[in-house]
Amino acid sequence: MPTRSPTLEGEFARALRDPDLPLPGGVIAHTSLRPQKRFAVYRNNVMVGLIGALEARFPATKRIVGADFFTASARIFASAHPPHSPLMMTYGDAFPDFLATFEPAAELPYLADVARLEAARTRAYHAADARPLEPAALAGVEPEALAGLRFVLHPSVEIVASAFPVVAIWAMNGGESEFAELTDWRGEDALISRPMLDVEVRRMPAGARTFLQALGAGQPLGAAAEAALASSPEFDLTINLAALLGGGLAIAVINEALEDS
Amino acid sequence: MTTKTQLTAASLAGALATALALVATNASAGPVAPRPSMDKCYGVAMKGQNDCAAGAGTTCAGTSKADYQRNRWKYVAKGTCESITTPEGQGSLSSS
Repeated sequence: MPTRSPTLEGEFARALRDPDLPLPGGVIAHTSLRPQKRFAVYRNNVMVGLIGALEARFPATKRIVGADFFTASARIFASAHPPHSPLMMTYGDAFPDFLATFEPAAELPYLADVARLEAARTRAYHAADARPLEPAALAGVEPEALAGLRFVLHPSVEIVASAFPVVAIWAMNGGESEFAELTDWRGEDALISRPMLDVEVRRMPAGARTFLQALGAGQPLGAAAEAALASSPEFDLTINLAALLGGGLAIAVINEALEDS
Repeated sequence: MTTKTQLTAASLAGALATALALVATNASAGPVAPRPSMDKCYGVAMKGQNDCAAGAGTTCAGTSKADYQRNRWKYVAKGTCESITTPEGQGSLSSS
């Protein structure tokens, strides 16, 4: 058995994805020695299950293109990307990249970014729980030590940078806001986080992405703020600190000046 | 002379003090308190994805190769994309 099993499994898996392949060897039923129809039902259910998982994870994407288009796209994706995990909540991490190069969707260049935002929301939902840093933890820090502070970001934090108004488009199609004309068509960076139980999506102000990415990479506060200012002169440190502390984006602060002394 | 902006300890401290005051006075800036949410239902629903009876289209009725055709669909998006106004005009995905 150990020598035969990999071949059998490989043949079975390939036949699940390709209806043109013959019934895998060794598949029999009590009603038939070659249960073609039964295998087709099983194959179809596998495919429908994968499509259903994508539908559940990408509702706004589906709403933008409609059910028929979405199902057909999902089927093509699922045929080429079998799941690597039995956890269906993680299925479809590669779906946004697939949409970005999917020619029938080329007229909707923002579609892949909306899907990226939705994928990030699911990851944030299932990210580890962590208690946000209390703002009061910073109240007593000496002014000279502030520039050297490092922060540990919440494990749910993700950023989706987009050349399109991705937050507005997602919000309208995700049932978060009413449909309205997008008069200000400009790129938006989306911040996805889950400080408590609810996944939150925010539009990031100018320079905020650079700031948060720098902090997330372990840079001290002073260097992160300077990098953000260099990326955008409109960067507002006060608003960003308020978002960091008030939005529960950090879970710990490291004051090296204190530890060295 | 470098173009890099140097932040002084005083300006950092000022920004932090204002931010802490903002956070303290503006309750809406804080994380939303735990409450039953749509996302909870979402999480539960995901468990049923592989279920044969998960919804329309997932019945165990005999479906064969004919139901599995991959390329016989029209490249038309019938969703809300047409209500999104882009600088190039209304979105549409007509196959024309």
